[in-house]
Amino acid sequence: MAFIQAVLDGLMIGGVYAVISIGLTLVFGVMGIVNFAQAEFLMLGMFVAYFAWAYLGLDPLIGSILSFIVIFCIGLVQRTLIQRVMKAPPVAQIFLTIGLLIVIENLALLAFGSSFRSVSTSYQTSSLRIGPLFVSVPYLAAFCMAVLSGFALWLFTDRSWYGQAMRATAQNPLAARLMGIDVERMQQIAFGLGVGLTAFGGAIVLPYFTVNPTVGSQFVVLMFTAVVLGGLGNVVGAVIGGLAVGVIQSLSALLFPIQLQNLVLFLVFIGVLALRPTGLVGSSR
Amino acid sequence: MTKAVTPHVRGVFATRRRVLALGAAGLAMPFVRRASAKGAPVNVGVILPLSGANAQFGVNSRNGIELVAEQINARGGIKALEGAPINLVIADATSTPTTAATVGQRLITQNNVVAILGAYASSLTLALSEVTERRDIPLMTMSFSDQITGRGFKNIFQIIAKASVLGAAQLDGTVAIAKSAGQTLERIAIMYEDTAYGVSQAKGLRDAAGKLGIKVVMDEAYPLGITDVTPLINKLRGANAQAVFPASYLNDGLQIIRSMRQQSIAMPIIGGAGGYVIPDFRKALGEYAENVLSIAPGNYDLAPQLTDAFRKKYGYFMVHEALEHAVCLDVLAQALEIAKAADPAAVRKAMSEAEFKGGWCDAMPGGVVKFDQTGLNTHAVPMMVQWRGEDLVTVWPDQLAKAKPVWSAA
Amino acid sequence: MKYWPYLLAALAVAVLLPLWLAPSGYLIRVLTLALLFAALGQAWNIVGGLANQISLGHAAFFGLGAYTSTLLLINFGLSPWIGMLAAAGIGALAAFVLSFPTMRLSGHYFALATLAFSEVLRVLASSWGSVTGGPAGLSVPFSPDSLLMLQFKSTRPYYYIILAALLFVTAIFVAIRRSALGYRLRAVKESISAAEVIGVDTARVKVIASVISAALTAALGVIYAQLTYFFDPDSVFGIISISIRIALITILGGVGTAIGPIIGSFLIVPLEELANLLLSSRAAGLSQLFFGILLIAIILVQPRGVLVLIRNIVTRARRRKPS
Repeated sequence: MAFIQAVLDGLMIGGVYAVISIGLTLVFGVMGIVNFAQAEFLMLGMFVAYFAWAYLGLDPLIGSILSFIVIFCIGLVQRTLIQRVMKAPPVAQIFLTIGLLIVIENLALLAFGSSFRSVSTSYQTSSLRIGPLFVSVPYLAAFCMAVLSGFALWLFTDRSWYGQAMRATAQNPLAARLMGIDVERMQQIAFGLGVGLTAFGGAIVLPYFTVNPTVGSQFVVLMFTAVVLGGLGNVVGAVIGGLAVGVIQSLSALLFPIQLQNLVLFLVFIGVLALRPTGLVGSSR
Repeated sequence: MTKAVTPHVRGVFATRRRVLALGAAGLAMPFVRRASAKGAPVNVGVILPLSGANAQFGVNSRNGIELVAEQINARGGIKALEGAPINLVIADATSTPTTAATVGQRLITQNNVVAILGAYASSLTLALSEVTERRDIPLMTMSFSDQITGRGFKNIFQIIAKASVLGAAQLDGTVAIAKSAGQTLERIAIMYEDTAYGVSQAKGLRDAAGKLGIKVVMDEAYPLGITDVTPLINKLRGANAQAVFPASYLNDGLQIIRSMRQQSIAMPIIGGAGGYVIPDFRKALGEYAENVLSIAPGNYDLAPQLTDAFRKKYGYFMVHEALEHAVCLDVLAQALEIAKAADPAAVRKAMSEAEFKGGWCDAMPGGVVKFDQTGLNTHAVPMMVQWRGEDLVTVWPDQLAKAKPVWSAA
Repeated sequence: MKYWPYLLAALAVAVLLPLWLAPSGYLIRVLTLALLFAALGQAWNIVGGLANQISLGHAAFFGLGAYTSTLLLINFGLSPWIGMLAAAGIGALAAFVLSFPTMRLSGHYFALATLAFSEVLRVLASSWGSVTGGPAGLSVPFSPDSLLMLQFKSTRPYYYIILAALLFVTAIFVAIRRSALGYRLRAVKESISAAEVIGVDTARVKVIASVISAALTAALGVIYAQLTYFFDPDSVFGIISISIRIALITILGGVGTAIGPIIGSFLIVPLEELANLLLSSRAAGLSQLFFGILLIAIILVQPRGVLVLIRNIVTRARRRKPS
């Protein structure tokens, strides 16, 4: 029974990890950049949703859509910076995104201050009971939003022209350009989409998490493990990776001290890299 | 002709006059120097984490120190030093112990600080204290890791009780409160975040439980940045405890309490200070914060006549780290009055020998501060506080309590 | 070769400068830290520069070194010099063990794997409290000034020891670069497949470089512990404060060159101090923000590092002069 509860909890939070990770893997897939600053956009998304709640009274689940839009626009605007990053050698790329991490985090600290902020929603302390199992309502709500966003993303990449063009750019930028696709435009959109999705993911966890300029660092490990598990650049892989990370985290608490849950994740991470560097599902690069 | 001569003559006159003037000035120098030394500001170093994860607490602490500095300067500075004002030299310790130590070195060398207050987090304070001890500069702190006063250092002064004492008091106080409500505690659950704060507090609790013969049915550490507490709460649910003792900061503390409510786990919650005693806790939980107990090294309701000034100035009640740092500065000012010199060695001597009363010491238990040879304030006694509405009320021990404790299953 | 006079002059300055500075003062401490990070950068340079393996987990070896020697000192009273040998051995062993899972990895994957490894060690150090002292960290037991116990009250002796360490690590770097090993590493860096074709055992070559780099880094960790007298898991296994800083220093200075880490360290360490001094009391986060912006600016302008930047400026200036 404890096993089923753990799997259930793991899947629900895993859905959120999946949304956050899709953003990171999208950015890599289309642009080839491992964005170390990705978690900072999560923090920004949480702040947007928090302020929407504090000043507009919007529930964070609705506010998350606002987060997506705002951060997506901010991502679009980064065009020049992103193009410069892409042209740099991989070594420089790593440090550019790290520099971006430092800048965003400290800008947030200057702008918003250091205190931890939390929202209060009506469903924060409720849960559903299915037999002997507990289903936390904030988790369930976040999971549903995650599923919805995943569906929306699928519609976009599969059915819309932009989505298909993005996939073409990810597969083979040269061929895409030859087919008349504005590759830079696609990369711009991909970046915006990527950071927007991660921001969305941050906003939907706001009901049970507090926001503070340093909150990004708590999700970095999870995000990167999920993405690597699924294969850098593979969106479906990120979903599976995110769910897997949630379940691993949850199940490891049954066997090991909770203090070591990150350790287990790291070992899984290294193990996957060692045995299947392109991820369990396979990578696009 | 005249032109060529006069400037020379004037120059000579000027020179001679200048020499006479300089000579007179030279003779007057000692008198002049003493006159300008009247009220030469006393530099006090303040090293706190102003960026990174502990920034909020660093800022609170700084606010407390600034309040007291203003008060001291407003009433005329340090009388024994001819009204010398306190000049705070504030620096960011960041979250890296090496930086805290380097910053300490800088303040000592460049700013000639007479003492340093800092650095909130035990790891920062430990690193900083290695510098201050070797440079013979007094360091005053409210960090409470047992290690701080356990190294035989002569220049460290810790204003509150140490972690093991806090942990033990957390249990003793709870047992007392439970007994007065008619319940005997036999089985408790301990959960704690895995940095120095949580680990040391939990150890104090564990050892105290062993001494009292109370069974610890759950004893789990969790990573500070935990994103999902359900495994923790699932374990709690199956542990059959009568009360739970979480040592958490705000983010994890809120998750724990909310998850407990989701699963309708009703038992008294006794926090380990940290995130349980700050205004944000109450703001976030609203009515669910009511009657949550916590241990605290200090509380503002011991001296509202002093701490209300903080609330008026900054808009929130005086959190314990702000209070304790405020007391540190007041004690330093009193030590300066006793030492009669802005000299670190004299200040150190005064601090280790004198008994400090009055002023902000009224906000400490017993109204007295006295340091023993290890640097601990022997009069510091932890207290149990409880949330009543938007305020934290001291409920134990009886000599400090402002209200009767409520023992309720949350 | 033609730089010998400049190098000797710089060395003379480095040796004589501390005699003018207060032996326990602030300036000498900043310089000592800059020297330490230069040495760390140089050790990293062996894998990052010569083998082109971007490791973001060198803190793993640094921390292992610090913990090894300090635990030996606390539990057995062993001199840190012996501790240094033990640390180098353990660092080398760790690198050897790590090389198995990371053998076929490169680029981003390699960086992430090394990062994960150092985090594993950090969590272990933090949770295995009975052995490592847990999250509260370890204090080096006090000893009066002694070269044998590598502990001094003033900073000046540490300065000279670390200067010697920097020269030693640099010598090893140059020796490797000029040796057959260096030649093979260059081949691997240019093209792994081509190197394999001409018979270079690419795996062995990478492991050797990584083991040497790790051993040196671990030894430097010992010196760090003796210098700061106290450390905790976060300070020695820190991702940003150690791993990234080491790599950053070398890359900003000029990765693959002998002088790169030195330039990088003497640029970054004083710069961070300056930012903290000027900005940290004004507003929370301002000094870090300034640092981050500077980092981005430098990399955007010249991703190959300050050395190349300076060379370009000098060349351009020479070209402008009518010859």
